[in-house]
Amino acid sequence: MSILSVRDVSQNFGATLALSDVALDISAGEQVAVIGASGCGKTTLLRLLGLQNLPSSGQLAALGFDLSSPSRKGLREVRSRIGMLPQDLGLVPNLRVVQNVVLGRSGKRNVLGTVRDLLWPSRVEREKVFKILDRMGVGGKMYDRTDSLSGGQQQRVALARTLYQGAEVLLADEPLSSVDPARARDVLELMAGLSAEQGITLVVSLHQVALAREFFPRIIGLKKGKVLFDGKPTDEEISTLYDL
Amino acid sequence: MWLGRRWLVVALGVVFFLCLARLGTNFVTHTPGSDPWASTIRFFSGAISPSLVDQNPSLPADADPFLSRLGDDLLRTIRYALIATSLAVPGGLLLGFFVSEQWWPRNGARVLFQLIRWPVRISLSLMRSVHELIWAIFFLSAFGDAPFSACLALALPFTGTLAKVFSELMDEQNRSPRGVITAAGGSGAQGFVATIFPMALPDMVSYALYRFECALRSSAVLGFIGVETIGLSINRSFENGFYGEVWTALYVLITTVILIEGLGHMIRQRMMSGKVRTRSSGLSESELRKAAPRDLFLRVNGVIWVVVIFMAFSIGEPLVTPMVEGQRSERISRFLTKLTPDPIASEKSLLNWDARKEAWSDGSDQFVPWLADLWEYPGQEALINTLAMSVAAIIVAACLAILLIPWGIRTLANRNPLGLAMSRSSLPGVMGSLVRGFFVLTRAVPEYLYAFLLVGLMGPSAWPLVLALALHNVGILGRLWTEVVENQRRTIPSTILEVGGGRFQSYVAALLPMSLNRFILFFFYRWESCVREATVLGMLGVSSLGYYISIQQNFREYDDILFYTLLGAGLVVAGDLLSDFLRHRLRGENS
Repeated sequence: MSILSVRDVSQNFGATLALSDVALDISAGEQVAVIGASGCGKTTLLRLLGLQNLPSSGQLAALGFDLSSPSRKGLREVRSRIGMLPQDLGLVPNLRVVQNVVLGRSGKRNVLGTVRDLLWPSRVEREKVFKILDRMGVGGKMYDRTDSLSGGQQQRVALARTLYQGAEVLLADEPLSSVDPARARDVLELMAGLSAEQGITLVVSLHQVALAREFFPRIIGLKKGKVLFDGKPTDEEISTLYDL
Repeated sequence: MWLGRRWLVVALGVVFFLCLARLGTNFVTHTPGSDPWASTIRFFSGAISPSLVDQNPSLPADADPFLSRLGDDLLRTIRYALIATSLAVPGGLLLGFFVSEQWWPRNGARVLFQLIRWPVRISLSLMRSVHELIWAIFFLSAFGDAPFSACLALALPFTGTLAKVFSELMDEQNRSPRGVITAAGGSGAQGFVATIFPMALPDMVSYALYRFECALRSSAVLGFIGVETIGLSINRSFENGFYGEVWTALYVLITTVILIEGLGHMIRQRMMSGKVRTRSSGLSESELRKAAPRDLFLRVNGVIWVVVIFMAFSIGEPLVTPMVEGQRSERISRFLTKLTPDPIASEKSLLNWDARKEAWSDGSDQFVPWLADLWEYPGQEALINTLAMSVAAIIVAACLAILLIPWGIRTLANRNPLGLAMSRSSLPGVMGSLVRGFFVLTRAVPEYLYAFLLVGLMGPSAWPLVLALALHNVGILGRLWTEVVENQRRTIPSTILEVGGGRFQSYVAALLPMSLNRFILFFFYRWESCVREATVLGMLGVSSLGYYISIQQNFREYDDILFYTLLGAGLVVAGDLLSDFLRHRLRGENS
């Protein structure tokens, strides 16, 4: 069953056409990699799938929510079911790890609720956060300042935030951009494992073709805002994608 | 048209000579027959023999001892600064929040937010552009209560400054964490509260502490218009020639400011770094929580600040003096009548609209000529003098600072500059400490105090005021510029040392060009403040806007004072806009 549906979507920013007539469906629990050269529209596609931007034309639906008639409340509700992992992880460096993780539930809280979560999270919430962090291998860092953690540990904290959010879809924008080759495999293993274990739909934008082929059954290739292939690409298609 | 930073430096040189032509070259002016050197020597000999007892032989026997009076004055100075800062910080936070764009939604409602933002920005600009001394003159005349008026006079411009800086700090924060909150269904306001505010908080606390330091200096300066702070002690002792007392008070003030600066530095460092705990594996959630790293220093400091602020409000002389019923409202009404431009003022109650309309219809045709007269003389001349003094002062300060900082930069002024072994001599390190000490001392004394002392020694001309502004600003520019150079990447300047060059070559050929843009940014930031200070320094008897303000204060001509104040405010706002423009252009250039 398709939970993310893109129909003839185009997106332009001023005179720049970032996406052109993109059409694709992503089913629940599917693991998809989006690959392509820098500036090909990967981030724009992920932002659209996360309902961050309205498309310039075409139809977009996520988790049963049709973006052609968006209501503020409905939009927030559906966003609370989608986890975004930006390139820089989007963590607040001078907050404790637990505080960053509880922020995953902002979509289900109002302003006062968020302040309460930050300052006085309940015992139940704290224990839930600890379990998730422990599962991610950083339980011991729960009360440390986030900027005192290593890059890899911070990446796990950001993933814990989306797990705490209870996201049904995880959209990760170039999660390997600042990761060394040895750790890149660990990160993808962790994401793919969580996706399989918890039935989370995973969409990841990547530059590393070999890793995309190894970990993802479906690969979408983007070139100059257009979908060049969708599935398991051949070597020739990959060469065309990067103009090799 | 923007011609670049080289032309900017050349233009500043030309402007300095124009200022010199305007202000003249009579650096010292004394009445015939006086012996300025004798009083100067006597004044500076007080520096090595500060007095711990009263120098005034005619004081009654039961008078409080000098040190006890000085202690009381210092406590009052700190109290007013504390109250003002504790009022200005929440005010600045609230207004800064309205000016910041970080919490705005991304849809069409932004137009509505712009409608809120601009009136707030204009109000902030007005609050900042009027000096606290002038606010104090207005408030003392209107309300009469010295403590309340003094605190309000300090709080108002400080709120404007804090709001501006707070909003800039919020706007400069990384927006990605906020994006994660909105992506997860949170609102812009939630994103602001949970991400932008905590990220900006260490810088905001740091800046608030710096403003407290400034409030302390400004509170002292209020003594020069009669408010009982340490400035009043200095004023009285200097005028009576008790220079030993003057120096004791100066040392006490400088020490207090330096201590506050040191405390602020420690708090800033603790907030920025945070404590790291290493052994944490195998612990349960509750054990981890108990063992969580907590900074006792910051916590104790927080409690102390809250207690001290509470004490400032509740202990000591009442902030508001009790008055007979109706006396206060009558006083305010009289002040507002005097504040109304003379041709359209009405002696009857301000709330009597018929009387006001009548006064307006009678005097409206004389209103513009009244303005034109004030502008023609002395407004125009005072305005140009104020501008010339501020420009000359900041250029002198910049020249001094640029010459001194190579000796004060921590990364250069040691045995191993930029990490390369150079010599075994400890002289560079000693020089570095001396230069940085000089910067600390010069910025610890407020401009007005320098000006007061220098006018007493050099006679009433523009140059003591220029020198006073320059002295204070050389300390601030020295500190800011030194930090800029210390934060530069070391690879390029160390190349010069690696091929046999010296420290000074490394500074001139690499560090200075790398830092020049940031230098110019800070230069204009300080020039804005020089314009504001130059406006009031004239109150010491030199022909700038402040001079005419102090004259009219004697005659209680508040409408004229308002005119000069608005002229000064206009100059500050123009300086602010020019400085914003140049900063914007310089940010676009590679440093």
